[in-house]
Amino acid sequence: MTSVTTIAVGFDGSEDSEIALHWAMRLAGDTGAEVVVVHATGMLERLDTPFAPGEMPPVLATIAQEHGIDSARLHWIVDNGDACSVLLRAVEPPINADLLVVGSRGHGKRAGLLLGSTSLELTQHATRPVVVVPSNVSRH
Amino acid sequence: MVLVINGAYDDSGHADPGHPERPDRVTAAMAGVADLHLGSDLIAVAPYAATRPELARVHDDGYLDELGAFCHEGGGAIDQDTYATSESWAIARHAAGGGLAVIEELQRRDDGVGFIAARPPGHHALADRAMGFCLLNNIAIATAALLSQGERVLIVDWDVHHGNGTQAIFWNQPDVLYVSTHQWPLFPGSGSASEIGGRRAIGGTVNIPLPAGATGDVVRRALDEIAAPIIDEFSPTWVLVSAGFDAHRADPMADLQLTGGDYAAMSQAVSEYAPRPGRLAMFLEGGYDLAALRSSVSAALSSALGLSATIEGTSSGGPGTDNVERVKHERASALETARSIHGEGSTR
Repeated sequence: MTSVTTIAVGFDGSEDSEIALHWAMRLAGDTGAEVVVVHATGMLERLDTPFAPGEMPPVLATIAQEHGIDSARLHWIVDNGDACSVLLRAVEPPINADLLVVGSRGHGKRAGLLLGSTSLELTQHATRPVVVVPSNVSRH
Repeated sequence: MVLVINGAYDDSGHADPGHPERPDRVTAAMAGVADLHLGSDLIAVAPYAATRPELARVHDDGYLDELGAFCHEGGGAIDQDTYATSESWAIARHAAGGGLAVIEELQRRDDGVGFIAARPPGHHALADRAMGFCLLNNIAIATAALLSQGERVLIVDWDVHHGNGTQAIFWNQPDVLYVSTHQWPLFPGSGSASEIGGRRAIGGTVNIPLPAGATGDVVRRALDEIAAPIIDEFSPTWVLVSAGFDAHRADPMADLQLTGGDYAAMSQAVSEYAPRPGRLAMFLEGGYDLAALRSSVSAALSSALGLSATIEGTSSGGPGTDNVERVKHERASALETARSIHGEGSTR
């Protein structure tokens, strides 16, 4: 089995992205992988900037601690673009993620909607394995 | 001089409360047109809904089916930035059809300048995906129509955001030259100088990323020193402009410091790239400060039409002069690498 050394997980502050984060952290706890939490800054975020580079949301450290991930293995990246494009870039240098993890839907998305689905786009275009974490998966 | 615009189409149904991409933008752009007092030199062309074959030159069938169905079911948020309503499908098709109608009218007259004051904008829309407020890529649909007639199309994209959708759609199309000036880093994250086109169109993409705070003197120098020689060699038969006005210093969406005078200067430059009258059309993209949008549209069109109008002065003194040299270097390096991989024959 191919080893996983770097997990990139998409985070937009939604409940679904937190569930994905828990799943990724748990896997990292089992494998010793690094976790790179990636936030995509869209056009509208320009007008209301909840996430900034260098300012890791406190919830990330809390979740990491819960799964035994020390701060040296936790990284926070804010990149410009839509969620799909930003996560696709995460498999390239300098991040070089070998696994992408996303929630089943982010902010404002309707369940079952294919149009604009980050998870669907990722599975179509990614060159690395993609894990889509359903919203009913346990956080622990 | 004649200004050909798409006629009024009710776009009020494509709106999301509080969203900056709103119907008032077209009202402001049209006020900028009215400020020119063109009288009978202003020709209004009625837009039509672009047909399925016209859209399918650019967009995947599956995407068009999904977008149409999504709107039919009432619409909603497509992604973190982009929305659609029950009326968006019809409105977006008319925005695309407005571009096609204006081009047909310019061809018929063999004179004038076109301006497509329509929304939603288009240059972020990919073949298979909506993004960045964009549903259908209006300028790409118009370009594809011209390509089907054997034309060679220069697209100048001066929106503050990189036109990732347009770049991707024509990445491997040797009869399109795509030139973009844009703030970087900024959404959508693409648009580095090393992105130069695909294997069959190496050199056909010219990206000029600019740092936050850059002023018009840098943009003009970049167009003169980087883009102009490439455009001369390409020798376009048509010039289309992704005319976003969100690089204006008053715009809330970015940090460039352009003025109406800078848009007039850029408009003059692109007008000179057109081979003859009736071969220049500008497509409204971004621009979210309504006063700046109005004055910038007026300035750009005034310049393209060769009119003398009172406009803001040009801007200068911002950062980025060294950026022009860096862009030249990065582009040259990328071209050299591509040529070494694919050979000289694939390079324009």
